[in-house]
Amino acid sequence: MTEVRVPLDLWAEDDKTGSIVVWLYPDGAIVKEGALIAEILVEKTTLELYAPASGTLKINVEPEVVIDKGQLVATII
Amino acid sequence: MSRMLTMSRAGREALDWEMERRDEIFVLGEDVYNFGGIFGTADGFGAKYGPERVINTPISETGFIGMAAGAAMAGMHPVIDLAYIDFIGVCYNVLLNTASKTHYMSAGQVRVPMTLMIGTGGGYNNAAQHSQCLHATVAHIPGVKVVYPSNAYDAKGMMHSALRDPNFVIYLTHKGTAGVGWMGTPIKTTLSEVPEEPYTVPFGKIAITREGSDITLIGLGMSVHECLKAADDLAKDGISAQVIDLRSLAPLDRDGIFAAVKKTGRMIVADEDYLSYGVSGEVIASVVERDPTVLRAAPVRICTPDIPIPFARSMEQAILPLAAKIADAARKMVK
Amino acid sequence: MPLSPELRRNMYVQMARSRAFDDAMIGLYWVGKTPIFAFANGPLPGELHCSNGAEPVGAGVCAALDVDDMLTADHRPHHIAIARGVDLNAMTAELLGKKTGLSQGKGGHMHIYDTRVNFASSGIIAEGMGPAAGMALARRLQKRPGVALTFLGDGAANQGAFHEVLNLVGVMKLPFIAVVQDNEWGVSTSKKESTAVARNSDRASAYGMAGEYVDSNDPDDIFLAAERAMTLARSGGGGTILELRTARLAGHFMGDQQAYIPEQMKQADPIPLYRAKLIREGVLNEDEAAAIDAAATAEVAEAVRLAQEAPYPDPSEAFDHVFAQQDEPNDVFAQQDKPKDVFSGASA
Repeated sequence: MTEVRVPLDLWAEDDKTGSIVVWLYPDGAIVKEGALIAEILVEKTTLELYAPASGTLKINVEPEVVIDKGQLVATII
Repeated sequence: MSRMLTMSRAGREALDWEMERRDEIFVLGEDVYNFGGIFGTADGFGAKYGPERVINTPISETGFIGMAAGAAMAGMHPVIDLAYIDFIGVCYNVLLNTASKTHYMSAGQVRVPMTLMIGTGGGYNNAAQHSQCLHATVAHIPGVKVVYPSNAYDAKGMMHSALRDPNFVIYLTHKGTAGVGWMGTPIKTTLSEVPEEPYTVPFGKIAITREGSDITLIGLGMSVHECLKAADDLAKDGISAQVIDLRSLAPLDRDGIFAAVKKTGRMIVADEDYLSYGVSGEVIASVVERDPTVLRAAPVRICTPDIPIPFARSMEQAILPLAAKIADAARKMVK
Repeated sequence: MPLSPELRRNMYVQMARSRAFDDAMIGLYWVGKTPIFAFANGPLPGELHCSNGAEPVGAGVCAALDVDDMLTADHRPHHIAIARGVDLNAMTAELLGKKTGLSQGKGGHMHIYDTRVNFASSGIIAEGMGPAAGMALARRLQKRPGVALTFLGDGAANQGAFHEVLNLVGVMKLPFIAVVQDNEWGVSTSKKESTAVARNSDRASAYGMAGEYVDSNDPDDIFLAAERAMTLARSGGGGTILELRTARLAGHFMGDQQAYIPEQMKQADPIPLYRAKLIREGVLNEDEAAAIDAAATAEVAEAVRLAQEAPYPDPSEAFDHVFAQQDEPNDVFAQQDKPKDVFSGASA
């Protein structure tokens, strides 16, 4: 099982938070390591979240919920 | 299963694939280099292709769109990013008289292979000069093709088709369907499973987005998704609504529209453009002039009224062709 | 290139051909339009804007060009088209709306296209500015030679497109020349009434480009100025506003009595002046000059005869050429040596 966390260096400013715009795979989908799996919005900028491993995606956080750097947003089993 | 993409990402994937392989394609527009265009159509292209092929233009639409037309005449295939269709006022001559008519006036000596990407639509409080649709204004011009994908699958396929078309193509995207985060969470029905390989979606054919037998709901751009929401709602009342996505305004699939409406006998056209002199009337005419007897009820248009679009949310939401209005109209027709 | 006798003689030839053409077209134009004038009547219908008096511009500028260069022009294109080498027979047929015309009758006098010589003209004021800049940009991206020139009137220099495109040319340092033909009138409005500065060439500094004004309506002076602008463009030095004082002897359009032009502003005919100059300087003698004039008249007469005998297009042809036909999908990736454009000139 691999944790999918918002990378600490995904955006520069520490005082900014983001939110998930969209998951590009539904809960339970098979994803490949390195695949683009979600878009994260920080202010007006769209950032990209990639799968750290291959396996089944289990989504923990839905879009429009405030997230922080380092936060657990999904797991890959 | 394949990955789901937003429309923005899907269109961008097609453009990237074609641009990698064909030197004649280049992108120009305001803020394309640093921002990738307002709706992310060329996100990252500046770094990948460089400033020669991703040209950041000064604010001068008549100038740079005219320039793009000339580059097309001389063998390039420019892709222009025009963020808001409200801005066609400042470059309309190029669209109306140059890009669309040169092939004809030269009897085919001169081609203008050019793709103009334009963002349409409101619903997010951007007021009268930044919320318009103007579908009819561009589709009305002879000599231009106008396409309007409303989901990611069509966005990619139509972008490939536009880039391979030797003509002037206007590629519309409703801002609310593009899937860019700052317009809110992408609407689920705009997301599609999108194949990794390139493919084309032909122009001039409607898509039947949802099968149904009691009534045909016809939409374009954002209103396709409002029709789908309305159809879900109507299903609860036992009304089976067919949803059509026009997705190609010029050429318009009159045969497809007629066949769909003939099946149900009832039609509602939901069009976010102004009511009068619009695509909605054109769609109805396409049915009625062929055979009015296929209709069991008078056709209905649900459009933005003929007023400048107001700013305040309470007013703007009240005038848009939203799902509730569509469903109400459908219930009245079917009763 | 020096001003060789051969070059000057050839410029006179082009001017003579252009004048013969315009005079013949004026003659055809009035057929059927008297005693009652109506645009739709006669073998040459519509509007007609003749270049009588502006011949030095076509002759002088085109003498400085190569096959790779690309031209856009406006509603008064004949003198430039002829000097550039546009097919005279086909252009004549086009003005008469015949099937054998450059555009098979689809364009008419204001929409003259001949891609063999990279020539395109169209009728919205200043419309040719953007496309010319785009052609210059295309050649840069394609790494092919070619300077783009657009020909317009002094009245067009106040249109938005003029200013927007010049800014683009300045920012991008494109090989582009705006040839502003200053005949002092925009339809019935004088330049003084409409333009905030005396010379459009002075506007060049506002766009970071070069500007030059030629006062004489003499093809020798025009040629040398055009050469300077071409040298600058070809060397990567950017664009020029080349403003050329010239004459508009036949009105804005046929039917324009020009009553608004006061006597003291009447313009001189450049052709007899240049003819006399060449004779004086020993480039031509009287007989040679007369022979050139006669040859021009004969050439035009033949073009008119052929055009009159040619058929009109079938009404059903109105639906052809709205769109270019799509290539088979695979062909898009069949890499040709040159891009698939028709502004190919001799270098394709």
